[in-house]
Amino acid sequence: MVDFIKRDKNDIFGKKILGFLFKNQKFLLCLRVLVTFLFFYAIFLGFSDNSKGNLFTSALFWGIFWSFFMVTTLPTFGRVFCSICPHGFLGKYISKIGLKKSMPRWMQNRFLGLFLLVLGWWGVYYVFPGVYRTPFGTAMLFLVMTLLSLVIYFLYRDMSYCKYICPIGTVTRAFSKLSFTRLGTYKSACSECKTFDCATACPYNLKPFKFDKKNSMEDCTLCMECTTACESVNFKFKKPSFSLFEKFKPQKAEVWAYILILASIPIAMAFHHGIGRSKVAKDMIWYKTAEIFKPLLGNSLDSVGLFAYLYAMLFTIFAATIGMYIASKILKKPFKELFYNLGYSYAPLFIFASLGHALSGFFTRGYEKIVEGFAWAFGLSVDVAPLAKRGDDWLMIFSAFKWLAIIWAVMILYKRMKLLKADKMRKIVAFPFAALLIIFYFGVNEYREYIIDTYGRADNGMHSNRGAGHTRHSRAKGRQGYSKSTLAYAKPNDTLFFTDRNPAVGGRGGMMGMMRANRDSNAIPKRSFWLVTKKLDKPKCVKNIDGKFYILNVNGELVKSKIKSKKGCTSITFEVPKNGYYTIYYIRDLDKIVNVAKYEYKRFNHGSNEEFSKDKITPKTIKKATVDITRLRDGEDSFYYSLHAGDMLRFKVQKDGKALQGARVTLKTQFGWQKSVRTDKSGIAKFKLIQDYNPKWEKFNKRFREKFLVTAVYKDKSDKYKVSYTAVYRPSREAYQSYAYALVISIILLIILSLGIFIYRYKVQKPFKEVTFDE
Amino acid sequence: MNKIREFINYGDLRKFRFWLQLFFFIIFIYGGYMAIDLGRNLPIFSCGYARETGGNCYFLGVQHQLARPWSRLFSYASIGVLTGFLTFLLWFVVFNKAWCGYACPLGTIQDWITSFRKFLKIPYSTYTRPQYQFLKKIKYVFLFIVIIFPLMLGLGLLDGEWRGAFCKMCPGRLITPLFVGDYSQWTLDFSTGTALFLTAFGMGFTVVFFVGSFIKKRFFCFFCPMSAMHYIFSDWALLRLKKDGDKCTKCGDCYNVCDMQIKDIADDVKSKNILRDDCIFCMKCVAACPEEDALHVDIFNIKVFTSTKGGFAKRMNINNKQETKK
Repeated sequence: MVDFIKRDKNDIFGKKILGFLFKNQKFLLCLRVLVTFLFFYAIFLGFSDNSKGNLFTSALFWGIFWSFFMVTTLPTFGRVFCSICPHGFLGKYISKIGLKKSMPRWMQNRFLGLFLLVLGWWGVYYVFPGVYRTPFGTAMLFLVMTLLSLVIYFLYRDMSYCKYICPIGTVTRAFSKLSFTRLGTYKSACSECKTFDCATACPYNLKPFKFDKKNSMEDCTLCMECTTACESVNFKFKKPSFSLFEKFKPQKAEVWAYILILASIPIAMAFHHGIGRSKVAKDMIWYKTAEIFKPLLGNSLDSVGLFAYLYAMLFTIFAATIGMYIASKILKKPFKELFYNLGYSYAPLFIFASLGHALSGFFTRGYEKIVEGFAWAFGLSVDVAPLAKRGDDWLMIFSAFKWLAIIWAVMILYKRMKLLKADKMRKIVAFPFAALLIIFYFGVNEYREYIIDTYGRADNGMHSNRGAGHTRHSRAKGRQGYSKSTLAYAKPNDTLFFTDRNPAVGGRGGMMGMMRANRDSNAIPKRSFWLVTKKLDKPKCVKNIDGKFYILNVNGELVKSKIKSKKGCTSITFEVPKNGYYTIYYIRDLDKIVNVAKYEYKRFNHGSNEEFSKDKITPKTIKKATVDITRLRDGEDSFYYSLHAGDMLRFKVQKDGKALQGARVTLKTQFGWQKSVRTDKSGIAKFKLIQDYNPKWEKFNKRFREKFLVTAVYKDKSDKYKVSYTAVYRPSREAYQSYAYALVISIILLIILSLGIFIYRYKVQKPFKEVTFDE
Repeated sequence: MNKIREFINYGDLRKFRFWLQLFFFIIFIYGGYMAIDLGRNLPIFSCGYARETGGNCYFLGVQHQLARPWSRLFSYASIGVLTGFLTFLLWFVVFNKAWCGYACPLGTIQDWITSFRKFLKIPYSTYTRPQYQFLKKIKYVFLFIVIIFPLMLGLGLLDGEWRGAFCKMCPGRLITPLFVGDYSQWTLDFSTGTALFLTAFGMGFTVVFFVGSFIKKRFFCFFCPMSAMHYIFSDWALLRLKKDGDKCTKCGDCYNVCDMQIKDIADDVKSKNILRDDCIFCMKCVAACPEEDALHVDIFNIKVFTSTKGGFAKRMNINNKQETKK
């Protein structure tokens, strides 16, 4: 026994606050009493009030302890959960007065507890959903477990219940291997010890002085009894999951705990809740199998859940064993040895993914549930808002946890592989096979995302669609919002034109809305355009559609389109699969007057890596348009090209495919500047886009899209022709970028710096000092 | 085999390096003219703002990718981030930091400026130790800007003007396009305060780059976030710089030739892997080492270039006969 020891820097017991939390026996006693009280109070309330009003029982059990507290502590501090568990707390006292028999051989089997959890809890969870979800079910479960535990504590010694029967005993033991703490002893002090106070103090009959050497804390539940017996016991910070990087004696039940828990929770959930709630759930194998067995099983149980669970189990175990079997053949090692040694690499898969889930759940629901549950239990009425809304962007960080889990698992596998004695090449070849379960887990995650991205969630899915798209405030502000939509009757003489934003919707919406609807990355994107009339900055939807729409694709072929009308506003929607210009026509041939509205939409998605070619951007025309106006492409040499103020535009007006001389062409900008010219011999009218967007400096938006409308009017003997073309242009770079300032600043800086260095060097050089070496 | 080894170990590293740098410079600056495209994930500052680049700096792409809204970034759709990173890693793993010393156009430009300074016979400057210790941290600040700022952008914490913030601050954006006659980056953007700050910073940094690299060898590499990024993954690289501490006499030759003032190269006799975060893997230290096998460059534990007495003597023009007489 040691009374005093100088603690290492990384010893938690040497720290003030953490040391108090983990070592102070009075504090621990209070904490355990409190937890035990809450535990029984929750059970009591569960029996007395089984209504929905009972917020406390489920908040305590399912809100705090199961999942949230457990998964946050296990991979960090270790089995803190066990440390405050009421069963262990009571068990310690009961064992003392109990019969102290030794447990029969057949019961000393860690798989007992594991199967209790996997079948008794998760099996029931999938097959009879909702049984445990009621306060009564919860209370009953915990009461039964409590009574069972107390009986076993009374009968057998050394806290055998925790080791073998407790459903989560083996699981917590297994996952605590990932923690960054280690209870151990100071070697220097223990080498001379002859009293072994720590071992006698341990209710579990463990030997803390062997933990470091064995690289395993065995069944230690961090009850901290040994720390009062001897000061030499320490509790150290180490690297995360450090113990898995070294050798230790593997426990079969632990590896199986990783595998079975992985199957029961993430994999089965991905099957049953993830893919099961998509639109293609009915095509999945478990659904089809369940269809076959449904007549046999009846409706009292959830047969889809049952088979989802069974298949999850089957696939997971298959992936784990087959992979390891092949690896063992490659490495020429006995299967069992390899399986139980490398199987520890599966540890992070469940717990990290679950950590992400538990944390995001805490922010969206858990916090609210817990606070309100506690308030209700003690007669208060508190209403708190959740800390985050489902779909908040920052919650997405938690979904990164599962990638972390995979990386972590691969890393552990690599480190544990290194410990094996085998040929290097064989190890490299065997690695992917040994990692088969990790790959399978990765695949299931990807597949679920893929299914949901491609097919979408079923309409009655519980999970609402994640997250509205990202809004870009600067853009929304910069755009000149449309005022409230009003419809207009287009008289024969009115100018018709297209707009890419829905006039019926204010500032936002329109294109942004379209983009959001097309979030699915695999679908062919679509675009909509609205036929409008009247003013350019306040367009009104055309009420009377008496002409026809035509859409030309990148290659100038007519393509299908869909005409929609919403609240009287007519729009045309079509697919835009490729980069390049799509041309939209609206042609109205009334008596004596022909109206043509034309719009060129350039699609450019640089993610698709499409080759740029001139054909994709050349102006297209259509025979049905008796008059047509085209913007000639001058200097447009990439998909990135866009119009800017200061550009010279050339428009060509044609009638029946021939250049039209003498048509009056007018260009009008959004802010009202306009100019008219007549076309020359070759049917061309030239305009320089002027810069008339001149807001105050701080409000200037360099991505401002100013609209302009070009109309060409031509009259011959009998008919009048009117054709319009709209597009947008941006402020020229010269409007906000300055070469002059840049040059002036850089030259000034250059001079200052050079001078500064020159002067510095000059000064430093002056007093000459002899260099002497210090011998 | 021994002949080849001797040829390498007795070779003139300076010449070799000059021509290799020139070769890579042409590839990365004028590669576009020769229809060379090495992708967008290169571990060097081969700037994507230059029109005819033969492959883009990874940072341009990664800033772009990470700036996606988080709901997209952490979804299946963003697998491109992973593949992009893996491509970057694959490129990097081959040459380790030798990308800096041999391939990076911006590094090559600095070396040329240094030669120009030498030609003018102006002495160079060095940092004092405390300055060195302080300044070397700056590259991690830049790396933070490269990685974290786009993430914050995706979260909506930063304005869209911060898109590609590091690129706007990077001298590479201003300097590399100059070689194809494109000076359009040499502007100040007055459209918003942020843009003005970033472009002004870039402008200032460029001037500092020229002045700095004139009086200090490899001035910019000291602040280069790519160098910091390299260092994080340098343990996985195939090409390695190793030192045999037992053979080291602490003569300090290696430290004296080091452009990056890495003191460990001479002082540290304990660690085998002598690559430090500032290292540009120019291998000048290996060439300058007079001890047999004290410093060597390895691939898969095979020595490809190692310090030899003979090689040292040859490079230093020491006549063997004279030495024996003395």
